[in-house]
Amino acid sequence: MLCEKAGSPCAPDLPVGKRVLKCFPPERAQPHLFSEAFPMRVLARLNRFFWKYKRLFIPGLLAALVSSGFAIVVPIVVRMSVDSIPRFVTLYKSYQGTPFADALYAEFFVALLFFGTVIIVLSLLSGGFSFLMRQTVVVASRHIEYDLRNQLYDHLQNLSHDFYLRHATGDLITHATSDIEQIRRYVGPAIMYSVRAVVIIVTAMTAMFIISPQLTWYALIPMPFLAVSIFFVAHMVHSRSDALQKQYSVLTSRVQEALAGIRVLKAYVREEMEATAFEDESRTYRDRSLDLARAEAAWRPIFLILVGSASIIVVWIGGRLVMEGAVTIGNIAEYLIYVALMTWPVAAMGFVITMVQRAAASMDRLSKILDEKPSIVDGDQTDPSIEKITGAIRFENVTFRYETEGATILKNIEFDVRAGTTLAIVGRTGSGKTTLVEMIPRLLDASEGTILIDGRDVKTIPVDVLRQAIGYVPQEVFLFSDTIANNIAFGNMDADSAAIEAAAEEADLLENIQDFPDEFETFVGERGITLSGGQKQRTSIARALIRNPDILILDDALSAVDVNTERTILQHLRRHYGKRTIVIVSHRISAVQDADHILVLDDGAVAEAGTHDLLLSMNGIYASLHRKQLLEAELEAIE
Amino acid sequence: MSEDTSNETKGIDGALLRRIITYLLPYKGWVALAFVSVMTAAFLGPLKPKLVQITIDRDILTGDLEGLQGIIMLLFGILVIEGILSFVNAYLTQWIGQRAIYDLRTKVYRHIQRQPLRFFDRTPIGKLITRTTSDVESLSQVLSAGVVTIMGDLFKLIFISYFMFTLSWVLAVVTLAVMPLMLIASFWFKKKVREQYRETRKQVARLNSFLQEHVTGMKIVQIFGREREEMRRFTDINDSHRQAHIKTIFYFALFWPMIDIVATTALGLIIWFGGLNAMSGALTLGVLIAFIQYARQFFEPIRNLSDQFNTLQSAMAGAERIFGLLDRDDSLKEPEEPVKKDKVFGRIEFQHVWFSYNPDADPDDKEAEWVLKDVSFSVDPGQSLAIVGATGAGKTTVISLLLRFYDVQRGAILVDGTDVRDLLLTDLRNQIGLVLQDVFLFSGSIERNITLENPEITMDQVKAATEAIGASDFINRLPQQYEYDVRERGMSLSHGQRQLLSFARVLVYDPGILVLDEATSSVDTETEEVIQRALEKLMEGRTTVAIAHRLSTVQHANQILVMHRGEVRERGSHQQLIAQDGLYRRLYELQYREQEQSISA
Repeated sequence: MLCEKAGSPCAPDLPVGKRVLKCFPPERAQPHLFSEAFPMRVLARLNRFFWKYKRLFIPGLLAALVSSGFAIVVPIVVRMSVDSIPRFVTLYKSYQGTPFADALYAEFFVALLFFGTVIIVLSLLSGGFSFLMRQTVVVASRHIEYDLRNQLYDHLQNLSHDFYLRHATGDLITHATSDIEQIRRYVGPAIMYSVRAVVIIVTAMTAMFIISPQLTWYALIPMPFLAVSIFFVAHMVHSRSDALQKQYSVLTSRVQEALAGIRVLKAYVREEMEATAFEDESRTYRDRSLDLARAEAAWRPIFLILVGSASIIVVWIGGRLVMEGAVTIGNIAEYLIYVALMTWPVAAMGFVITMVQRAAASMDRLSKILDEKPSIVDGDQTDPSIEKITGAIRFENVTFRYETEGATILKNIEFDVRAGTTLAIVGRTGSGKTTLVEMIPRLLDASEGTILIDGRDVKTIPVDVLRQAIGYVPQEVFLFSDTIANNIAFGNMDADSAAIEAAAEEADLLENIQDFPDEFETFVGERGITLSGGQKQRTSIARALIRNPDILILDDALSAVDVNTERTILQHLRRHYGKRTIVIVSHRISAVQDADHILVLDDGAVAEAGTHDLLLSMNGIYASLHRKQLLEAELEAIE
Repeated sequence: MSEDTSNETKGIDGALLRRIITYLLPYKGWVALAFVSVMTAAFLGPLKPKLVQITIDRDILTGDLEGLQGIIMLLFGILVIEGILSFVNAYLTQWIGQRAIYDLRTKVYRHIQRQPLRFFDRTPIGKLITRTTSDVESLSQVLSAGVVTIMGDLFKLIFISYFMFTLSWVLAVVTLAVMPLMLIASFWFKKKVREQYRETRKQVARLNSFLQEHVTGMKIVQIFGREREEMRRFTDINDSHRQAHIKTIFYFALFWPMIDIVATTALGLIIWFGGLNAMSGALTLGVLIAFIQYARQFFEPIRNLSDQFNTLQSAMAGAERIFGLLDRDDSLKEPEEPVKKDKVFGRIEFQHVWFSYNPDADPDDKEAEWVLKDVSFSVDPGQSLAIVGATGAGKTTVISLLLRFYDVQRGAILVDGTDVRDLLLTDLRNQIGLVLQDVFLFSGSIERNITLENPEITMDQVKAATEAIGASDFINRLPQQYEYDVRERGMSLSHGQRQLLSFARVLVYDPGILVLDEATSSVDTETEEVIQRALEKLMEGRTTVAIAHRLSTVQHANQILVMHRGEVRERGSHQQLIAQDGLYRRLYELQYREQEQSISA
């Protein structure tokens, strides 16, 4: 009498009930119940995918039709057999004792076997097509997910540095994962369920109306209530699971913060206080969980009572009609199965609306990223005839500020570096050194003034050509979780093992690598060994050197290596003197003193400039820095 | 996440399960109630087809309208009760479970927080967060629905079988004949899906870490012009991810129709055997219709049971990690008969202290990695001591030991003549005000950060303290003043402002001893003056131990301790040490002389 489909899945892979949470992962922006905060229009963007995968969608939706069709015939056969039994029995009884009896029994035996077989065959057919339906439509949704994700990643690769300064990594990853998943639910399961639901509801209702409009009206009374209450409960579950998720992060960050500040807590004997506060948050979390549990617990009585009462109505009204002779007992059995068949499709309508709303919200967020234009790309100014760079760098009155914040990072920077010479930049943290060097490979563009490479405005050089000529070692070392060899060869895909080894040697890393378990094939990062700060930095240097660049930029790239290693690496670099322009940012005088030209930055402006000797004689910032470092070395030497 | 991959392979360990269940003991009355409720529901569900059978055979076929209506009323009644019970079951089990989870979570948290700093040095915070959050969460299913639901489903199967057998044993046997098929299908499916999920999770993790890595390192990808190659790699990973999902779809696409087919096979068999039986007069139509419904009712408890089995498995791994943590308690021993002190005068003494971060360091082993070697000094009440030295000299360790974040291996630390190990930790730390170089602020209001949520500290005290420190000026300029949210780690404040707040914190707590780790990075001159004055205010009447980075601090200190590589190399006043022309003289040149110039300038 109950509909066992009460436990049916809301997505092919997920049963309802407790798992609704997973079916609809929490979102930051929750669409309001009926408001069109996220116009369904945004979903139109996906229509081209339906066209692209028409070879899957068309057969898939046809399979949905056929499968539902076969399913709808089962109750009819059940009715026929149930109704035939009394007839058989009467007939059989009237011939009992005559020679016909055995023959009749044999015939009924075959007839009943036939009914039973037809039922099984029908369900096999229906099952077969429903298998095909999932294998096409749901598979198509995975293809679309794949396409969308590729499109997003490709787009992310084209977006410039400033975009990444504005967006948190975590958010971007959410777009690439959960937002795309929400959209997939719409293009796959939601569409599939809708089609199937419509077919089953329409055909079942037609079959039912043909038999008895009266009984049908009564039997269907609970159905609209079912759809509406499912919609409301689904909505309630979503908003409550969002609230729960939010409290979960509150709880997590509370723990995170307390443990990070454990020294302060212990020093001020605040443990008890903090534990109480944690208990409060846990209690709130518990209450949120129970809020959600209440909404989820509401599924069951709704399903049970609405579906159960539909069945009871069938027996009740059906029973009366049987007494009146309007319908047969077989019809009752038939209706009971129809009601069970319709339950899930009707409930699915409630889910589908929510799925579509969520998909629209996700698509809206995703569109914002996809519509973002990369700010640094080749444009009208670009001169495609430029194919090579020699490496002269000139800054003309360059000023830089972030558009959003407006704070000026660099003010009127002027300098001129001849190709093949070395420029060094020193200055305090926050004086603008990194911003300055990031403008050379055009990670950032100057707000005012001009940057010239080989005497030409950097904006006229194709971005590819420019970056191809530059070897960059960033301040914060970033290696990929891959082998050492691949990390070095990241700089030059065509490099052979000899070139990799040469680059490692030049970065004074070769000996270290030879000590690793798998030498160049050793994995770094989470899955492999943890490199020391210095080793990471030297790998990063090797990665830049293997490009044999015309301009080498070292942004505080020797901070984690000791003075001796620094000396070795600098000596290696000197071999290319005259053939490669080097821009070196450092805190250490030892690393910059041999440079052809030294800039001392202070608060975004050039405070001092010149050679080492000249700067020392000026007795300013540079000279005092030099003095300090000599003393430090002296202290270091004391045993 | 990596440690979670082992979840699925865990078997079910009886002892562990029993230990999990103990967390339900405080709620045993409620558990019993849930049990009764689940049992009642398990009985009522299968009762309904039976009633339908009665009404068909007794009433409908004989035309007894009153009898029919009577049964219908009964059915509605049962339905309503069943509906209510189903809500009660679902909610009550969650209610119990969430309470037990709360108990466990707070227990785990308190346990972690009690551990000494040594524990935090060696355990990554991320791991501890996982223990208190997701590991605990993994037990919630077992603690809420778990046992009660399993019993409910088992009994539901038993009740269904009972009704079937009493109606017609032949059809019962026929229906039960497909049950093994159902079981095999369910468990085969669960097994396949579990395997496939493992693969899917692996692919999801790969995809996520690729994205994580490449979004973080996008700058590198772009500078090195690797866009095309990285796109190719992403496409590969994205493709494996897609394939893993498509394979999963296959199992689901197979499973749902399969279950339907098995259920319908039972239906077909019932029609066939039932019809034949009816002919021999042994079976009524009502029974036949009841069986059609029983055949469909059978599946739900079976599927639930296979679900529960999975949840149990994954809970085991979480439980093991949680109990592993709870079973090891390293918290510092509190003295059995603590020396009581109401107010310290503030005499501090280090007596031949040897210390290594390796807790097992042998006190007699001269080769062990000693961070402090035979350090002795004393500070009289109200006096100040400045510790100077290069990085790695052991300055911070001295402070940590004074607060008894660690216990020394050799020697002793005395406060007012009492060994710190003979004092209650609370009593000791209540008398010491700590200001760290890297000021740690909690997200939340300025007030919260000053009082650290101590309800005994009034707003007036907070205001007075900030006034005295000179922090009230900037606080009053903030949008919500004392309610201003400083954000995580105090991000929304400048370094100097954070420093001032930590001073105010000391002032409201009014300890007898001030321990100060001065910030190295310089602030602008104006703030520097404010901080200078604030410091003088703080040191007034307090014994002060400072890791000095300010010239004024060393100049005004009653005693300076020059440390080098864990040893005290020189000691004396500023003038004496300068005259010695030793280590201090060089440190002075390096760290302090410039300040002298900038002040005189």
